[in-house]
Amino acid sequence: MGKIIVMTSGKGGVGKTTSSAAFATGLALRGFKTVVIDFDVGLRNLDLVMGCERRVVFDFINVINGEAKLHQALIKDKRVDNLFILPTSQTRDKDALTKDGVERILADLEKDFDYIVCDSPAGIERGALMALYFADHAVIVTNPEVSSVRDSDRILGVLNAKSRRAEQGLEPVTQRLLLTRYDPERVERGEMLKVDDVLEILAIPLLGVVPESQAVLRASNIGMPVILDEKSNAGLAYMDAVSRFLGEDVEHRFVKPEKKGLFGRFLRRSA
Amino acid sequence: MSIFSFFRSTPKASAVQAKERLQIVMAHERVGRTGPDYLPMLQQELLAVIAKYVDIDENKVEVKLDRGGDCSTLEVNIELPGRDAVRKPAASTPSAKPAAGAKPAGAKPAETRTGDSKPSENRNAPSVGSVLTNGGVSKRH
Repeated sequence: MGKIIVMTSGKGGVGKTTSSAAFATGLALRGFKTVVIDFDVGLRNLDLVMGCERRVVFDFINVINGEAKLHQALIKDKRVDNLFILPTSQTRDKDALTKDGVERILADLEKDFDYIVCDSPAGIERGALMALYFADHAVIVTNPEVSSVRDSDRILGVLNAKSRRAEQGLEPVTQRLLLTRYDPERVERGEMLKVDDVLEILAIPLLGVVPESQAVLRASNIGMPVILDEKSNAGLAYMDAVSRFLGEDVEHRFVKPEKKGLFGRFLRRSA
Repeated sequence: MSIFSFFRSTPKASAVQAKERLQIVMAHERVGRTGPDYLPMLQQELLAVIAKYVDIDENKVEVKLDRGGDCSTLEVNIELPGRDAVRKPAASTPSAKPAAGAKPAGAKPAETRTGDSKPSENRNAPSVGSVLTNGGVSKRH
């Protein structure tokens, strides 16, 4: 039976889709058969980030409505084995996500896949609720910034109250923090919340810290999950997070400013 | 560290302020979420009792809730009006929000709170920050 992971945050623009793409790719790279589903009905973007936008024929909503078979809508990634994308509809709205429909598709996918990564839309309305409802694991994507932290707290409350596991009194959804767009230099200057601050406030375990990185935009420009950019700090941080998710004990990197030599400092000054 | 730094409060790093503001606002928001919680009611009733004896301005009530792992503290700071403050007729006070919904935005009662529209006459009232209660109720979870 596959496990369902939801990437959620409450707030928009914190990196849910980037993280979903990276995380799903990372799990596939580690040998797990993985599918990543876009729950942001009407604002489809996962396909772009994954670089398969020109291959979308059928989508999640078509499958829910019985207009297409699941295997017709699944797009196989061309770079990584074991990785599939289930895009969403660009034209429909969130009401197209029925609980029964989503449950049926997830149940089908669970038989065939090790991991199902649900890329949640922002907000706490239907799309976001459907993305998290069936989850076994939640990854809370948060920026070290007040509104993001507050919204993450809100979504944690929703997970604890409105997920299937909560409603049925099952073992709760596991919740882990993925802190993205972290800038250790600004933290050092007292301009940004520290990892420990966010952890103290949200009180959930840390899955990873992804540093602010130009590689993220470069990767999305070319439709490549940033985790495939093995030279970038962000890519490495996502790889570490995947390892931790799989139970490995990996030390956190990129939480301290990089040490700059005299030469580096000079370059920075003059830049 | 110079000796002057004892007297001059250095501005807090913005990240520190961010953390403090989050802790305060989220403590409040969590109250409403974790099922039936008596804290908001308790706050209101405490205020009602105090209002029986003292003319308090609900805009000058600061309620702080700190949720720790196993112990929360409810801290109520009420700024009392000065001696010669005139009791305002109830009608002239813009219907003050219930204390439970009041924003605990500032750290000190004297600070200007952005977003909270205070009636301007209050600012001129000779109400010096005399604190009535400070730190009282704790409860275990």
